[in-house]
Amino acid sequence: MTMTKKKIILAKVGLDGHDNGIRIVSKWLMDGGYEVVYTGLYNTPERVLQIALEENADAIGVSFLGGEHVAYARRFVTLLKEKEMAHLKLIIGGVIPPVDVAELNRIGVHAVFTPGTRRDALLSKLKETVC
Amino acid sequence: MSSKAEVGSTYLEGERLPNFKSLSGIDYKEYYTKADWNKELADPGQYPYTRGIHRDMYRGRLWTRRQQSGFGSPEESNKRLKYLLAVGETGINMDVDVATKYGLDADYPLAQADAGLQGTSMSTYEDMRALYDGIAPDKVSSTLIIQPPFSAVTMAQYLLLANERGVPWEKLIGTIMNCSVTQNVGPTLQSNMAWFPFDLSVKIGYDIMEYITPRIPRWNILNINAYNMRETGVDAVQEAAFSMALVSDYIKGLVRRGLDVDSFAHRMAFFSCAHIDLFEEVAKLRAMRRIWARMLKEKFHAKNPRSMTWRTAIQTAALPLTAQQPLNNIVRATIQTLAAVLAGTQSIHTTGYDEAYSLPTEESHKLSVRTQQIIAYESRVACSSDPLGGCYLVERLTDEIEERAWDLMKVIEEKGGFLQVYKDGWVEERINEARYKYGDGIESGDLTVVGVNKFVDEEDDVNINIFRHAEDMQAKRIEYVQNYKKTRDQEPVKRSLQKLYDLTKNKPETNMFEPIMEAVKAKATLQEICDAMRQACNFEIPR
Repeated sequence: MTMTKKKIILAKVGLDGHDNGIRIVSKWLMDGGYEVVYTGLYNTPERVLQIALEENADAIGVSFLGGEHVAYARRFVTLLKEKEMAHLKLIIGGVIPPVDVAELNRIGVHAVFTPGTRRDALLSKLKETVC
Repeated sequence: MSSKAEVGSTYLEGERLPNFKSLSGIDYKEYYTKADWNKELADPGQYPYTRGIHRDMYRGRLWTRRQQSGFGSPEESNKRLKYLLAVGETGINMDVDVATKYGLDADYPLAQADAGLQGTSMSTYEDMRALYDGIAPDKVSSTLIIQPPFSAVTMAQYLLLANERGVPWEKLIGTIMNCSVTQNVGPTLQSNMAWFPFDLSVKIGYDIMEYITPRIPRWNILNINAYNMRETGVDAVQEAAFSMALVSDYIKGLVRRGLDVDSFAHRMAFFSCAHIDLFEEVAKLRAMRRIWARMLKEKFHAKNPRSMTWRTAIQTAALPLTAQQPLNNIVRATIQTLAAVLAGTQSIHTTGYDEAYSLPTEESHKLSVRTQQIIAYESRVACSSDPLGGCYLVERLTDEIEERAWDLMKVIEEKGGFLQVYKDGWVEERINEARYKYGDGIESGDLTVVGVNKFVDEEDDVNINIFRHAEDMQAKRIEYVQNYKKTRDQEPVKRSLQKLYDLTKNKPETNMFEPIMEAVKAKATLQEICDAMRQACNFEIPR
């Protein structure tokens, strides 16, 4: 049986340019059998969702470092509802304090990954989330 | 704990390291002897300065304790600056937020969610005045962390502050980072191409250097941020070679403008990394001193010995710090700070143990200063210059890193120089390779990170005090900039911006520093100044 690859849009939104993490994760996901579209830096949530729509993606993964994660996550969740794209999974990664991980989960982010997450842990949690 | 669980240890089987390689992949030998290194060394303070740029090093004067700081509004950052000076910081390292680093005001739509988060939001002259309230620019040295052309605005704000306080420019001591390639997040391509025409940014960087050189004799005109290069994941040899190849381009650029190398070389400094591989880092910094000395003497024919002394600030690497078991980071930062001291560097920022969570709290900031003070005052390692000089291992490694760095610099030179290979995407490829290798190293166990891939806690319930911004910080900054633009006298602003537009469009060879300073004085904001020049080039920024 052949399975179609799941497709994930990876993005940085806002102004932060720290992209070590998301570059490594994008390689891990590709090696792990996902189709990855990396949008690069300086996106808006609107733009990321537009790309997800055009690419018919299964999930979007957004990476943060500077403390802007909650504000942008709220915007993503609102837009996903407005645009009736609830099938799309929202995944967030980066430098995120524990109290904010709880807040992100509460507002509807499907998975949150913080620094030091191992590849296998990432892939297995992702499989659970996206499939 | 269950009493049935059997407690054991693998120690009896022999606890061994996964390999005996340096972080750059150089093999550490079983031991080193005269056969590995048997040369004469010039004394500290003597060319080629392997052993340090001063004979007496820290006996004459300790390194500067210069912690980066900045968050929220200038008023909030001013409080933290005063706190740091009160606990024993000896130099200011003012960090602006990402928006400011891209030449954006807090009210720009894409900037609003980032304003003030990673540094101070600084758009106006009045912001600089607030940041330095109660701090004398002639009594403490300052590093202004920002790159061209935005550095022209920050520098102009600082000079106008000196004027207002009646401080002659000759008395100002400090550094404008002023590097178009390394200052954002290292030499990644998109971060430096998206917000301003790249070549014009380099050109305005030269304008600033040329303007400052004769007018502010104790001010550093350029600082190569080798640290940010390293933090992308490249190794010690690449850090040394990339940063030296880059500064070589800048020196050539100023010489092409007709400046004598001896008039500016001693005003160029570096900001380098102290990673966790202690001996390799000491060797790297000693090798960089020698490369600089030889390059200035042999390639650029400097005559003044001062031009040949390589000065560097240090930040301890954040990349090896972990979110897991965060107190471990205090130990890591201590080893890294020790490396910087053993290498004889000029100033140090010890990275906070809470780095993997947020900006440092006051407590964490103080701990960084205390780490340096304990090393300085209690450990006695600062009593003699270059304490590791003559150590077979360190000398062999210094030679080896120097050789490898020269080889890599030659490759870059043959490809057209660092600015060229950066623009060609060659550097970006090296960086991505290094990142993947780093990730693979942790996965394979080749690279041990305690708490991440070894000695992992079963429960990762981290209890750590984390810095939080004031809830209304961003809204207030946005409101401030919007009000500022409404309530000033609009005519002088219009005139000064029009002038910037015209010069950029029609007289691109003009030195832009004074026209930019006039615009700051006329109360144009940072983004308005940058937009005038962007528009003259029909340059679009992300929105």
